[in-house]
Amino acid sequence: MKIQIDGKEIEALEGESILDAALRAGIFIPHLCSHPDLEAKGGCRLCSVEIGGEEGAFPACKTKVREGMEVTVNGPVSSKVRKMAMELILATHPADCTGCPKYGKCELQSMYQYMGVSAERWRKKSRSVANDDSNPLISHLFTRCVRCGRCIRACQELRGVRVLDYIRTPAGIRAGVLEGKSLKDAGCRFCGACIEVCPTGSIMDQVKIMKEERSYAENIVPCRSTCPAHIDIPRYIRYIKAGEFGKATAVVREKVPFPETLGSICNHACENECKRNELNGAVSICKLKRAAAVNDSGMWKERTRKEAPTGKKAAVIGAGPSGLTAAYYLAKKGHDVTVFEKNEKAGGQCRYGIPSYRLPDELLDREIAVMLEAGFQLETQTAAPMPKELLEQGYDTVLVAIGTHQGTKLPMEGNDLPGVYVNADFLRNARHGTPLPVGEKVMVLGGGNVAYDCARTAVRLGAQEVHMACLESEAQMTSTPDEIEEGRQEGIILHPAHSFLRILGTDKVQGVEIQKIDKFYFDEDRRAVMELVEGSNQVIAVDHVIFAVGQKPEGTKQMELELTHGPYIRADENLRTSMEGVFAAGDVVTGTKSVIAAIAAGRRAAEQMDLYLGGDGDISEKLLEDETPSPYIGQAEGFAGLDRVEPGIKTAAERTKDFALVEQPFTCEQAQCEAGRCLQCDLRLQLHRPKLWNEY
Amino acid sequence: MKQMKADVIVVAAGLSGLAASIAAAENGAQVLAFEKAGTTGGAANMGMGPLGIGSRIQREQMISLTPGEAFRKHMYFTHYRVDARMVRDYYFKSGDTIDWLMEMGVEFVGVQRAFSAPEDTRAYSDGEFTWHVCRPEGGGIPGPRAATSMTKKMTERATELGVEFLFETPVSSIIMEDGKAVGVMAKTKAGEDVEARANSVIIATGGFGDNPKMIQEETGYEFGKTIFNFAIPGMKGDGLKMAWEAGAGKVPCSMELMYQLPDNMNHFILDGAFRQPCLWVNRNGERFMPEDQIGNTTFTGNAITAQPGSIAFSIFDSRLLKKYKKKGPDIVSHVHPHDLYDHFDEQWERDLADGYEPIAQADTIEELAEKAGIDVEGLKAQVEEYNELCDGGFDEIFEKDRRYMQPIAKAPFYCCRQNVGAYGSLGGVKINHKTQVLTQEAKVIPGLYCVGTDACNIFGDSYPFILSGNTMGFCLNSGRIAGENAAAELDEFEY
Repeated sequence: MKIQIDGKEIEALEGESILDAALRAGIFIPHLCSHPDLEAKGGCRLCSVEIGGEEGAFPACKTKVREGMEVTVNGPVSSKVRKMAMELILATHPADCTGCPKYGKCELQSMYQYMGVSAERWRKKSRSVANDDSNPLISHLFTRCVRCGRCIRACQELRGVRVLDYIRTPAGIRAGVLEGKSLKDAGCRFCGACIEVCPTGSIMDQVKIMKEERSYAENIVPCRSTCPAHIDIPRYIRYIKAGEFGKATAVVREKVPFPETLGSICNHACENECKRNELNGAVSICKLKRAAAVNDSGMWKERTRKEAPTGKKAAVIGAGPSGLTAAYYLAKKGHDVTVFEKNEKAGGQCRYGIPSYRLPDELLDREIAVMLEAGFQLETQTAAPMPKELLEQGYDTVLVAIGTHQGTKLPMEGNDLPGVYVNADFLRNARHGTPLPVGEKVMVLGGGNVAYDCARTAVRLGAQEVHMACLESEAQMTSTPDEIEEGRQEGIILHPAHSFLRILGTDKVQGVEIQKIDKFYFDEDRRAVMELVEGSNQVIAVDHVIFAVGQKPEGTKQMELELTHGPYIRADENLRTSMEGVFAAGDVVTGTKSVIAAIAAGRRAAEQMDLYLGGDGDISEKLLEDETPSPYIGQAEGFAGLDRVEPGIKTAAERTKDFALVEQPFTCEQAQCEAGRCLQCDLRLQLHRPKLWNEY
Repeated sequence: MKQMKADVIVVAAGLSGLAASIAAAENGAQVLAFEKAGTTGGAANMGMGPLGIGSRIQREQMISLTPGEAFRKHMYFTHYRVDARMVRDYYFKSGDTIDWLMEMGVEFVGVQRAFSAPEDTRAYSDGEFTWHVCRPEGGGIPGPRAATSMTKKMTERATELGVEFLFETPVSSIIMEDGKAVGVMAKTKAGEDVEARANSVIIATGGFGDNPKMIQEETGYEFGKTIFNFAIPGMKGDGLKMAWEAGAGKVPCSMELMYQLPDNMNHFILDGAFRQPCLWVNRNGERFMPEDQIGNTTFTGNAITAQPGSIAFSIFDSRLLKKYKKKGPDIVSHVHPHDLYDHFDEQWERDLADGYEPIAQADTIEELAEKAGIDVEGLKAQVEEYNELCDGGFDEIFEKDRRYMQPIAKAPFYCCRQNVGAYGSLGGVKINHKTQVLTQEAKVIPGLYCVGTDACNIFGDSYPFILSGNTMGFCLNSGRIAGENAAAELDEFEY
């Protein structure tokens, strides 16, 4: 139907409000209490308009359009109502905007920019309410509340959580939590819809959550933005909650080809950023991924990308996570790919660096077999020719993804005595079934997860007493708290915040002298500085020492590629090396990082190499239909108190007997229960931001 | 990654960025304006109006100040330690800029001065009528935020000229190629990277008033301790950092000083009520300036900075309060409500009850000093001396106007601590009078301009209160100069 606004004819839809019709047609009518995702209430009166043939002013948000209606926005009556409504809002709103974090993004500020600010006719009465930062994640600054009720409608009607309501205070009515309860006690699900719809700075994300270096959306869903491969975590968790493990796996597989491997050993930086940490511990994102993978239906295979052969040849040196990932996607893009692996089996660090009690051979074999279905050749036990030779042999492009497989020793007295090992050799031999002897007592030097892998492997190889010493304090160690705890249960004696002075012994290792560190930090030049505690030296008698202080690439010197920081390959942001057509990705470029970072790098390499080969560089896959999750999350009894579910794990005595897998995957019930703890932060991004006057 | 192209890119759409965008677009340039916030206007949304000299309004009001006279005043005020050519170009443009704004539909209620000096110091510190105060949208008496009507009109004008605003899209760096600025990298709200290329880039991000770390590093003040400045959210020093990173030279930054109470907007009545020529002392209880000068917020801010702990105290007694209530304040300010003292008791009682820390009330001077944290003996001696001077009718120490020599004698006594405040930061990026960014060796960085507060290096050590409206004035005019130059370069480029 057609209606007229200020003499301009516009098209309106049956049943919609004057406000919606006007805004859709690009005509701005001031409004504050209405919001695109919420039902209109007509409370603020800023959208008052006059209607031809009728007396008085009507709220445009609550008045339905009628054929031929003549609407005047700034008639004398409607302007007067609007002006008074604005004056009354401003009379109780603090005049101080300078300290408000919403400055510049505030709808009220934009509205007074549009309408003016004179409030002299009314006595200023700021209804001061103390700021409340006692709740997790959400700050309440209700001095700024303008009683528009958007948060209440969002909480009650849109989300069905029913925590926020109008409350009466001696200073008047405002939004708040009934009975003065905390959000946790009131049943809040911390979805953040109230924050999202608040037009002023009354309900805000706590300042510490919003990191400046991240964009708004990245801050709102920090798990997804922190994941190097940007797996859509909230989406797969929602499917797990619904018991749809096949769909969940498909979501994971849209970004990574190793769901079960990652579900077992990922360093899960996402969990550190999970907003539920502010309540009672992160959602168990990593283990949920494993639960999805072990219950996968394989439905993702229906939609997987497979392009026609291009006739181009690509070689990948190294069948670790980054090399395999790159090969997998390149093959899907129709390229003829060969992966060269010098070890007996593919998997790289996943197989030869991570002990089988964390990541068994069968699991890796299974996932790699699935990847091979994409159609690339894998040549194991084959030393690859140099990149240049590969190009000469007719490969159009080469990826070097050989990782870091050479352990390093610290320069210290006694480091070449018989009985001194390095991490990579020690773990690789254990995996090959030809373990290096451990004697009775072992000292592992280092505090990361590889150090724990070494120490726990030593325990399983029969060492009676295993020590670990590292420079970092326990809180600073890069290994996970779980790892530290499990190690402790297995009898590993940890000496955190200790410096290693020397390895003692004449013709073989007899002990290690360590000394307690008072302070350990990096100075402005990023040099490590240690302050030691005098007189705290002690000698620990051991038969073997294992260095677990880092690894580096092997054999890069002969590749005729430009190197950096010693043996690392220099690659630009598009992973190109100094040699035309040769790319590099993963640990060999970045230094030893995580499996997930290597996979993300493998994807990037595939994109860039595809572009180089004349493709469009698009390796994205849509493995399942988009489904809009319901915004109505409803109430959940005791939601804030739901504790993190822990999977079954063998006792220390049982697990140190052999190299069998230590931890059980979640049962389906456990997984669904744990998935129910997710705050679904991403739902907020469904909400529309009202357009401000300057955007019309 | 999203790729964009334009003739001119403006980094931030505050007052200077708006001026730059409009000026460039009026001269035929296609303009992209990136803004971190969701609205235009930035800090100007809290302000009241800009400086102009020789405007139509001034001529109509028979204000005879000329740009040349203002230039000379300014250069004497700053002892010629700032770029005279920049100052000259700014003042000579400023009257026209007011007319330019009026043609866009910006309305001014008239020309004012922010400060009128007492008679005996008028010869060297009076404020000129340069401050063009905006008429609030919809009428009414102008107060803080009145300038939103100007930012609104400017935004409308920019949009009309085809300026494309990208809201909530902060710029992270300048793209430099062969020593020339060729574009910017930005990030949208949703996290998408944007690479935008243009012939010139104009930086206009408004300084670092909301970055305590930079305040400490660049000016030595400690936010919340030795300085309580306006911290307009988002003023993080982005522009300075990206300019310096791109090779811009560095000019020492300063804070645009004044004085105020901590959290002053929420205690605005007290902020005004104690801004009177009563008894002002430092932490030792000693007077430190003639109190009839405290209407000069710049000088008073400077004086407080120099006191022990960078704090001062304003004190009056019940008799003075009674007088203020009856006859109004001795010194009237433009920013505080005229009926201040009608609301004094209400605010005072509430703040006392809430434990608002800068204030104290007591029945004896000793107790007052103790509560306020002033040296007890020092204050007692000072009050005694001051009251004697009042009896004698002449201030032998500072020769304060005798009308204000009113003793501090009748309990209860009222005291309020005064802290150093600031409107924000000033300057940092080295520019020439065309607002082109210069390297430390004063070589032009082609394609790069910097305007507004990021490049306001012309004030020397203190805000030139004698020519009020100067911060906004510089923002508008430097922005306009940059926009015109950037557009002119484009012509050269095309021919």
